[in-house]
Amino acid sequence: MSAPLLCVHDLTVAVQDGAGPRVLLDRISLDLGAGDVLGLVGESGSGKSLLCRALIRLLPSPKLRITGGAVFLEGRDLVTADEREMLKVRGGEIGMIFQNPTSHLDPVMRVGDQIAEGIRYHQGLSQRAARAAAVEILAQVGFADPNRQYNGYPHEFSGGMRQRAMIGVALSSNPKILIADEPTTALDVTIQAQILRLLLDIRDRRGLTVILISHDLGVVAQTCDRIAVMRNGELVEQGDKRSLLAAPQHPYTKALIESHPSMPGEGVATAAIAQPAPALRPLLEIDDLHVRFPSGAGLFAAGPKTISAVKGVSLRIMPGETVGIVGESGSGKSTLARAILGLAPLSSGHISFDGADLGQNRAKALQKLRSEAAMVFQDPFNALNPRLTIGEMVAEVLRVHGKAVADIPARIGELLDLVGLEREFADRKPRSMSGGQCQRAGIARALAVEPRMIIADECVAALDVTIQAQIIDLFRALTARMSLTLLFIAHDLAIVRNLCERVVVMYRGEIVEEGRCADVFARPQHAYTASLIRAIPDIDPDKPLRADLLSPSVAETGSGRVSDQPSAAFNW
Amino acid sequence: MHRYRFVLYRPLQFLPVLLGISIITFVLVRLIPGDPARVLLGSRATPAAIANIRAQYGLDEPLWVQYFYFIGNLGQGEMGKSILYKIDVLRLIATRLEPTLALVLSSVAQSILIAVPLAALAARHRTRLPDHAVRIVSTLGIGFPPFWLALMLIILFSVRLGIFPVSGYGGSLTDKLYHLALPSLTVALSLSAVLTRSLRAAMVQALESDVATAARARGMPESIVFWRHVLPNSLVPTVNLLAVNIGWLIGGTVVVESVFALPGLGQLLVRAIFSRDYMVVQGVAMVFACATVLVNFLADIITVALDPRVKL
Repeated sequence: MSAPLLCVHDLTVAVQDGAGPRVLLDRISLDLGAGDVLGLVGESGSGKSLLCRALIRLLPSPKLRITGGAVFLEGRDLVTADEREMLKVRGGEIGMIFQNPTSHLDPVMRVGDQIAEGIRYHQGLSQRAARAAAVEILAQVGFADPNRQYNGYPHEFSGGMRQRAMIGVALSSNPKILIADEPTTALDVTIQAQILRLLLDIRDRRGLTVILISHDLGVVAQTCDRIAVMRNGELVEQGDKRSLLAAPQHPYTKALIESHPSMPGEGVATAAIAQPAPALRPLLEIDDLHVRFPSGAGLFAAGPKTISAVKGVSLRIMPGETVGIVGESGSGKSTLARAILGLAPLSSGHISFDGADLGQNRAKALQKLRSEAAMVFQDPFNALNPRLTIGEMVAEVLRVHGKAVADIPARIGELLDLVGLEREFADRKPRSMSGGQCQRAGIARALAVEPRMIIADECVAALDVTIQAQIIDLFRALTARMSLTLLFIAHDLAIVRNLCERVVVMYRGEIVEEGRCADVFARPQHAYTASLIRAIPDIDPDKPLRADLLSPSVAETGSGRVSDQPSAAFNW
Repeated sequence: MHRYRFVLYRPLQFLPVLLGISIITFVLVRLIPGDPARVLLGSRATPAAIANIRAQYGLDEPLWVQYFYFIGNLGQGEMGKSILYKIDVLRLIATRLEPTLALVLSSVAQSILIAVPLAALAARHRTRLPDHAVRIVSTLGIGFPPFWLALMLIILFSVRLGIFPVSGYGGSLTDKLYHLALPSLTVALSLSAVLTRSLRAAMVQALESDVATAARARGMPESIVFWRHVLPNSLVPTVNLLAVNIGWLIGGTVVVESVFALPGLGQLLVRAIFSRDYMVVQGVAMVFACATVLVNFLADIITVALDPRVKL
């Protein structure tokens, strides 16, 4: 390592509120040499994003203060630099890429203009020259037709392309250091692999220094030279990637490595236990199901256009089975789940739940579904009513399903025990609970109807890895204890491999492969499944990440417009 | 450009809306107790004279027949004859249109000129003195009824200071603007209070949004962050609020025109209602309805222009 480019020394950030100062970042020290790629890992709330915001003195709230320490960038102390100096540092020396490109790109400004803005401001180019430079950058970050795509608005691009645009915006001011804050967390595995590849590519081409923030050790292991582990505002461990992964010193680092889903879990063992007795008939039978949505049909639009979200899916699920449905966003897996619960229209085909056909006898089937099947949602906060306590929320379900009022409190207690929440949570509201606790409450609500089947739609995608592992364990315990049938929808293959006996792979509305988990992951038959599996960032740095050129999302690099769903357009 | 295609077919949707409005106003006007012929001829009129007038204006026909006359006339661009003024309703409206139109336009322009800087000031100094001041003033502005504001302005500017006239409307352009100053300020003060609050809220949100954070993180000074990212992202809700309020304002001119004795549509409407001049009430109501529909149509076009995500 050459002389450090960035040198953080005892950096301390505290929040100043009623109760006096509380330390959020506790004496962080680290060095970053030119050309380094540093991975910063830790769960949410560990302070990794805050550290990066503190480097450019852009703290998320005026109540936060840097109370001590120094940040030396090529010898200048950024903590004491004046605001004018900082304007040059932000963007010009240190660029940032954010987790959610959808909310960080200006929705009402052309993508190209957002890149040109930084060029004009930092490099003082004319409008024409800035435009040419922006087109150049768009090409660099992988836009196939940069001249035309310059004029596109963020919502016209897919998630992957938006993140490419965000990277382009960060590059526009020609920084020396690039901070990428969870740049791929919101993306599918295959797209994630492409974006990580792009980041490394740009690093090489421009000689950038990169700080990559991630909660996923796999991502960091694949991309970084050095790893720093943060927890509760402290830097608990840092060092060379290989030595840190091979011989972690701190117990928290060990726990992180153990809970990484690319490690072989004990999921295989449950398969033997839960193997159902030769079942008489399937609990859920789906036969040649099609779901089509009308799209963009205006009063005078030429002919009704439709989007096929699910195309001819047939599936049988036996009582007590645990089935994972995987696929990238837009593959139709969520639509399938909604159709099963009667929440999406059946265009053709059959769904029958325990003998009741949803197409032929809708009322009866729905009644059966409502009382015997339940759903757990992706976003634990938004799926809970913020005004109700957990107890009130579960009681509501119990009342609707005709539970005697006197028995309700006892039942709430049982349910909370079942999902591993203290009974006092009955009086808490979602606001005062963590993401993992909210998701447990959501599961308790789903279990209130004593369902035979639970559909979990990406229910751990929004949670930290360690919490993810806990929720997965909970599902495993529940399915074993209550002989539940579980339909587990996820884009994360590693989790499905750990939890499910059977896996169904969906691609563009169709099932391309299904079979026992162990078989499918060991010997994928379909090229798409194989590319999905290869794109999982492995925690072993010697198993290189592969962003296949035979990517499932041809549209990602092509026209720039995803073929699947009309993105965040408001239809008024 | 297909996002603007609605401009072509949206007007077709206006037809049923306007038809509905025509039925409602037609029926409502006739539900008011009283008889135009009796009002016109006074309390000592003979039954024969009243019947004569009723026949002359077709008021003796069944209600549905009268409605079809009304609609038939509308189709030919006619609105019948005023019972009170004895002239064509359309011509009557045309002579009264200008003061109302001028009042609405100038008060909308003034309210935008007041609201945008105030909201920007408040949002950029959030929870500090300028913000508190703007919020208190705008709350007061919403709280004070326009007729009271009008009287206070008259007392201050006309009676005490003698700068502006108490009432009436002028002949030349400058004279007209001079007479419009107080009435339009009255309306603008009320309207800008509503707009400022909405715009301030949207700006506060946009200033804390990820878009603004990202712009700051690439070294944009606060002025660029504000004018280029925050403002465009906070205009849309306010444009729609403004459209709704202009609709309300068009009806609300009645009060202001009465206080300032402006010879506009509002005043005409009030007098027509008192004299049960059915044709004029219907006509003015239809004009107001058309104007409201048109303003909302314009707001839709502006919304589409401001926000590329919106599809109509």
